[in-house]
Amino acid sequence: MGVSGAGAIATQLSIADIVHAGQTRPLPSGTPILVVVTLYGGNDGLNTVIPHTDPIYKASRPGIYVPDSQLIPLDSELALNGTMTGFKTLWDAGDLAIVRGVGYPTPDLSHFTSMAIWQSASPDESQRTGWIGRWLDTQSHDPMQAIGLGSVLPPLLVGENEVGSVLPLGGLVIPSGTTSYDLHKLGSKDPSDGPLQAAAATAINDLLGLSKNLTPILKMPAPQPDNLPTQAGGSFGSDSSLSQQLDIVAKLIAAQAPTKVWAVSLGGFDTHADEVKGQSTLLGTVSSAITRFIGQMHGSNRQNDVIVLVHSEFGRRVAANGTQGTDHGTAGPVFVIGNGVDGGKFYGEEPSLSKLVDGNLAVTTDFRDIYATLIEDVLKVPAEQVIPGWKTKLPLLLV
Amino acid sequence: MNTANRLELSRLIHRFGFGPKPGEYAALLATGITTARTTVLTPPAVDAGAQAITPPTLTDLGDYPPQKSAALVDFQKARQDQILQTQLWWLDRMASADHGLQERMTWFWHGHWATALGKVQYALPMYNQNQLLRTTALGNFKDQARAMIVDSAMLFWLDGNSNTDKSPNENLAREFMELFTLGVGSYTENDVQTVAKALTGYRTVRSAGTVSFNPKQHYSQPITFLGTTGVFDAPAISDYITSLPANAQYIPHRMWYRFISSTSPLLDQSVYDAFANRDIHFLVTALASSNAMSNPLHSQVKAPVDWFVSVCRALQVTPSTLPINSNVIRYLVAMGQEPMNPPNVGGWPADEAWINISSAQTRLAFSQYILQKARFDSITAVAADDHRIDALADLLGVAQWSERTKSVLRTALNDPKQMVLIAINSPDYVVNA
Repeated sequence: MGVSGAGAIATQLSIADIVHAGQTRPLPSGTPILVVVTLYGGNDGLNTVIPHTDPIYKASRPGIYVPDSQLIPLDSELALNGTMTGFKTLWDAGDLAIVRGVGYPTPDLSHFTSMAIWQSASPDESQRTGWIGRWLDTQSHDPMQAIGLGSVLPPLLVGENEVGSVLPLGGLVIPSGTTSYDLHKLGSKDPSDGPLQAAAATAINDLLGLSKNLTPILKMPAPQPDNLPTQAGGSFGSDSSLSQQLDIVAKLIAAQAPTKVWAVSLGGFDTHADEVKGQSTLLGTVSSAITRFIGQMHGSNRQNDVIVLVHSEFGRRVAANGTQGTDHGTAGPVFVIGNGVDGGKFYGEEPSLSKLVDGNLAVTTDFRDIYATLIEDVLKVPAEQVIPGWKTKLPLLLV
Repeated sequence: MNTANRLELSRLIHRFGFGPKPGEYAALLATGITTARTTVLTPPAVDAGAQAITPPTLTDLGDYPPQKSAALVDFQKARQDQILQTQLWWLDRMASADHGLQERMTWFWHGHWATALGKVQYALPMYNQNQLLRTTALGNFKDQARAMIVDSAMLFWLDGNSNTDKSPNENLAREFMELFTLGVGSYTENDVQTVAKALTGYRTVRSAGTVSFNPKQHYSQPITFLGTTGVFDAPAISDYITSLPANAQYIPHRMWYRFISSTSPLLDQSVYDAFANRDIHFLVTALASSNAMSNPLHSQVKAPVDWFVSVCRALQVTPSTLPINSNVIRYLVAMGQEPMNPPNVGGWPADEAWINISSAQTRLAFSQYILQKARFDSITAVAADDHRIDALADLLGVAQWSERTKSVLRTALNDPKQMVLIAINSPDYVVNA
């Protein structure tokens, strides 16, 4: 990851802080919230949004094409992978848009370089900061504005001056007694601290700053999805770490957290071999976890505020590689989901299977068009402040 | 006490080893920094502490039994048991070796050639790869690379196993050049595809960790890549790639990133020069002797395994003897660093990625678990005043306590266990200054 390890250090905060902030300065209803879902490994877009009626599709992928019986047609040309029943429901409701052929000029087929490009929104030159990090730089300092779920800070949340925060997956246990008292003092900063020691002290301070109202909030059931029927295949995502991450996000949104950007992720998409079963299962997880999350937003009355972005670092090669998988590729579909999305339709051109570039799909949409849309229409900052020189957008949102 | 020497020694012993055993830090300090450096960089011919650790008992478990079969239950139990044994064996070696460099370098190379149990599934090939990394850890990089490109676990991990002339798979070819030898930008997409062809024909039985070469599945025509043309098999590919100038730049750069600084670039030409013949021990020596070792900017966060093993060494804990020893792995998983199971082929992150409330919480719980077996004799032997605090710094190899940490340690002078708990969770210990 080219942008991880940039000089800035994450401002650490505790869930208690977030909950407390939700009580003292709740995010006003109507404030947009962006949830970024990153699929690590390079999701095979052609087996996600499938050109099922194009004969080249099946001919290119003997053994790993998705058969007609296992897909959900969206129109006469494209279909969703059959595990993505939840996404089909959202599509039918007009809440899910699919942007086709997304990538950037001169695709790089390295996982690390390409993910760094997506997270930094800077294909042309290596850039230490992430796109959400640079949005944070335009905001007044608030460690709760952007939060990543998991044990490691995602590079997209690193700005020049401001940095997002991380939250662990599980519930936190408050250390008790003497231990808690002594360690609390370890959390104070010392004049001799370098930046890393200071960050370690802050982490301890925030851990020990957990308040009594924290545990109940983490233990409470996640908001119930109240508007969607139970999905066939819904159990796919129930134990996945993506569902766990989104459950915590749903709880904290319900607790009125003053957070405008959440970052969650799922790995395992690097399907060089035995792709069919593995990728379909993952896609089922993505679809059911996000569909459930959207339902939870209805339950929390935030359905008009939340926009979900789903992307990966690249798509995969059009032709199967002969080991029942696919090698690294280029363009892929991006999903933008939410009540405020002008969905149930496609954006960007579908890359042609007969006009490949070195065996790869041609990029038809620059991902910065999507980012610029989200920056301006969701995060309410001129896109150029975050992606210098970038002006074009897509009409993805009902404004 | 010379503060600069204390800092440099603390870095030497933590970064080129896994921290001091009791008495080691003070003894090395007394010899002077130059002698101490030589000592840290010179492993003994036989390491009695490491030798005392019994290797895991590993057998070829064969293929997975059919789904839902009765045999599957026993198979999974045996498979998981072999994995746990192997992980604990390695942690025991790290914690018990008299001299830290060999295991430290094995750990570095494991992160470099990051191969994960999550896909490989069997302990035996992971163990064999681990031994390969250990025996080549300080040797010539060309020898290591030549062996790794046809290593059983690696072949399975990056799909080299199923890469054949008729159906090439680029995974191993790409990562071999991008992450293991040359660095991104030193090759073209065409090179990836061409090298993938020449890496065909190697098959592994992963449960047994065996590798065979099938000439019929190997592409034996001449290929042109990276400025050369000829007929290549995998070892020859490796030899050629590791002879390229980009390799002489890339490995020093990676080692600098892990041993010195993940944020500032390697500019010291003498470090690159030391690797001209791909001699790893020369390179390590150049890094450890660099001025950067005393530059206060180059602090490093101890990654979870670094932290755990250094605590075990100082407190004389053998990981596998901890109660319900599978909890060792559970804690490391919770902290995000399970040995032999890196998150992806790029290995683990560094520095600030390890600092957050989640890791602070797990570290605290992990500490209480480890301290059940800890020995505190080297601090209880010292008067319960500031001398005890100084003794704790030497025991743990900390250059200097901050006033913050000292003030907290003073509240626990008469409770050695609590004192150690405070110390190993303090920013002064979590970060190698």
